[in-house]
Order: sequence, then structure tokens, then C-alpha cells
Amino acid sequence: MNKKGYLEISFGWLFAIIVGVAILFLAIYFSVKLTGIGEKTLDAKTGKEIGILLNPLETGFESARTTYITFPVNTRIYNKCSKNGYFGKQIIQISQRSFNKWTETEVSVSFENKYLFSNGIVEGRKDYLFSKPFNFPFKVADLIYITSSTENYCFRDSPEEIQQEISNLNQANLKAENCTPSQINVCFQRGPNCDIVIDYNTKTVSKNNTQISFEGDALMYAAIFSEVEIYECQLQRLMRRIVSLASIYGSKGSFVSREGCNSNLEYDLLILSNMASNLGSSRDLKLLSLGVEEIQDKNEANSGCKLW
Amino acid sequence: MKIQQMAFMLIAVTIFFVLVGLFLLGFAFSGLKKSATALEEENSLLLVTRLANSPEFSCGDAFDNAGSNCVDADKVMVLSKESERYSNFWGKEIPNIEIVKVYPYDGEKICNEGNYPSCSTIKVFSGAQTGYYRENFISLCRKASENGESYDKCEIAKLRVGYSEVGA
Repeated sequence: MNKKGYLEISFGWLFAIIVGVAILFLAIYFSVKLTGIGEKTLDAKTGKEIGILLNPLETGFESARTTYITFPVNTRIYNKCSKNGYFGKQIIQISQRSFNKWTETEVSVSFENKYLFSNGIVEGRKDYLFSKPFNFPFKVADLIYITSSTENYCFRDSPEEIQQEISNLNQANLKAENCTPSQINVCFQRGPNCDIVIDYNTKTVSKNNTQISFEGDALMYAAIFSEVEIYECQLQRLMRRIVSLASIYGSKGSFVSREGCNSNLEYDLLILSNMASNLGSSRDLKLLSLGVEEIQDKNEANSGCKLW
Repeated sequence: MKIQQMAFMLIAVTIFFVLVGLFLLGFAFSGLKKSATALEEENSLLLVTRLANSPEFSCGDAFDNAGSNCVDADKVMVLSKESERYSNFWGKEIPNIEIVKVYPYDGEKICNEGNYPSCSTIKVFSGAQTGYYRENFISLCRKASENGESYDKCEIAKLRVGYSEVGA
């Protein structure tokens, strides 16, 4: 039986099939790759844009500033903190909902001069940001708090100044009265349905069975809105900024003494710098704050020759 | 013979698609560079308006009647000596930050420890001069003395933030 012609394909067909398959395979492969690169580019660009848009949150004489960002699609902001480098790094990664799944987040943007306090992942189409200066004893940085519009915080039994500040901020997801159990209840006195408890006397915040310490309202908000790991890492970064600023103010003290302005704070600033660089965790803040108050008083007393 | 023709054709087709791919990638990345530069420009624009209020620059309460956009010249002089530590602090693509005194005009002298405050330009970072600048007016204050009495002296200056083209 002669079956020679059964599988006989002309050379033209064979060539067309091989080349066609190769071209189709390459086209599909590169389209998928390019779509992935496009998504990553968009994520990186959005991350960078967020970082740039945080610049106007730098406060001057204001006690706090608020703004919001909206995204065209549901977006996750991954807030990461790194202690690498002299000042450490604020790392932002973005993932956006595309074709009903989250884009992969390998690309990150980092900033040395930003301090974001939030949950590890902030998800939503609208996020609120507010910033508050952290003074310790001089202005160290503006702390930025990010919350999703889907998370509503209610400050129960808060002191008058906190109530006033929340009211002045006029941020839709922050309230200081008429709290309901569906909101995240931030209690200044222990009671039922409290998600976060603040002890304003011992300056501690209790949440998720852990306790963290704070000094000043800026760090209190930071402890409320952020995860414990992020808070502790950002605190270490802030301490490094204090070390650097203390060195600048120390040198400025020697500099202005030529003009007859003696601050006599160089030694105190050196001690502050040493203590800040050795801060282990937020628990050590209490000890540091005693030195800070003393330095602040000394600086205030130098009325004509204040360093800051 | 036909196999040889087929091999040549396959190579030619592959080279053709590689070239098309390279052209498309080049086109896509040139857009990416442009948008990265645009982002740096936006960053420098927003930065220059707020930089005067950052702790390393701002007057704080050190000077009487110092308002917003007041820069402490003594502090910036110290900062200029420690600029290496701050080289990436305000962004990797920000190679130049300088303060240029506008009034009273003091000639074009770059400040150093020897001639300060009789100089006009404090270079906080002085990277390559290839980029572009964004400027903002500020009041530049320092401590001065006369007959052993110290007083606050404020002058008009421009804060200049340079940015470079990404990939240039």
C-alpha cells in the first residue's frame, strides 16, 4: 500500500506554518511582556506622583494640613519603611486593579525626606492625607498620615484641643462625636467597642494587643493611624533626622557666637544627639523627652539668640 | 536548496521583527524618559515653594517677625558643609540647591566660611550645571552685630532648585 502522499505537505505550506507559529508566538509573548511593563511603569509613575504631591503637605506656621487623592481605579498603596542609608527611606509601592486583578508590585519609589504613617496597605479610590509638624524640641519633620476613605475613625472622649483639631481639619473620615461601633473607635477612656485606646497621661496607644509610646500629638496620630512596625521604623528614621538637625544647630550655635549670640546649647544638643541615636524603641521616648524639654526651655530663655 | 532558502528567510524575518521591536521599545522608552523628566520638573516646582519651610532651611522662631518663606542663612551655611549627607534627601535628580541674594546686591561671590556674610550665593548642593532651575523669592535672615549688640538682619533672596533631564 502506497501511503506516500498521505502526509505530503508542500514546502510553501510548511514554511508558512513554521514562520506563522513563530510570529504568532513572539507577538503574543511580547504583547504580554509589554502590557506587564506598561502596568509596572504606570504603578511606578503613580508612586512617584504621590511622593511629589506630598510636597505641598509641608507645613509652615500651620498646625496641620489636609488633602486627598483620588485614583481612576481601585488602588493599593503599600507603605514600607527602610532603615537603610543615613536617613532611612520611605518606600511606596502601588498596585492598581486592572482586568479584575491587582497588578504586580515589584517597582517601588523611595524618598528620604518623607514619613508616611498608615496601615501596611491602604486600599481605595480615594485616600485622605493630613500632615502635622513633629517638634522635638525643634521642628524635625512633617508627619503624613494616610487613611482610606473607606475607613472611618471616631475619637471618643478626646481632649478639647484634639476635638478642635479634628473639627478644623474637616476631613470626612475623621469624627470626634456621635461614634458608632461600625467606625474605628479611638477611645481616650476605656469603654466598650474601643479599637484603639489612648492613655494621654502615660502617653501610650494600645491597639491589637500591643502598646506603643508617643510624645506630642503628632506622634500620637502616627501611632493611631499606622501599623506598629511602620511606627517604630519611622520613629528610628525621625531620630536620625534629629541627630542631623542637632548637629546643624550645634554648628549654628558656634557660628552665631561670632556675632555675640551665645546660645550655650552645643553640649545639650550633643547629648540629645547621642540619646536619639541610641533610642531602641518608642518606650525610650519618655527618657528622651525630659532632655528635650530642658533644651526647649533653655532655647526659649535665650530670647534674642534663639537657635530655632 | 529549499531548506537553505527557508533558513535565510527565517533569519530575515527574525531580524525584521527584532528591528521593529527595537524601534517600538526605543519609542516607548523615549516617552518614559520624557514623563520622568516632567515628574522631576513638577517635583522641583513644588519643592521650591515648600523647601523654605523644611527644618534644614526655615527660620522657625529664631528671628523676630520672620514669616513664612524665611530661610535661616546661618543654618544653610552649616548645611552647605554637610551637603554630602543630604545629597539624595530631596530627590536624586535634584543636583543643585542654591540661595542667591537679590537685595542688597553684593556682587557675584560664592559664600564660604572666609567671606560670609559678604557674599551673594550660598550653594547648598553644587552638582553639574546642566539642568534647569525653578526659583522662589524668600527672605534670607541671619544674626548680625553692631557695637557688640546682635540683631536680626533679613535680606531678599531667591531660592533656586535645579533639576536635570532624566537619562541626559
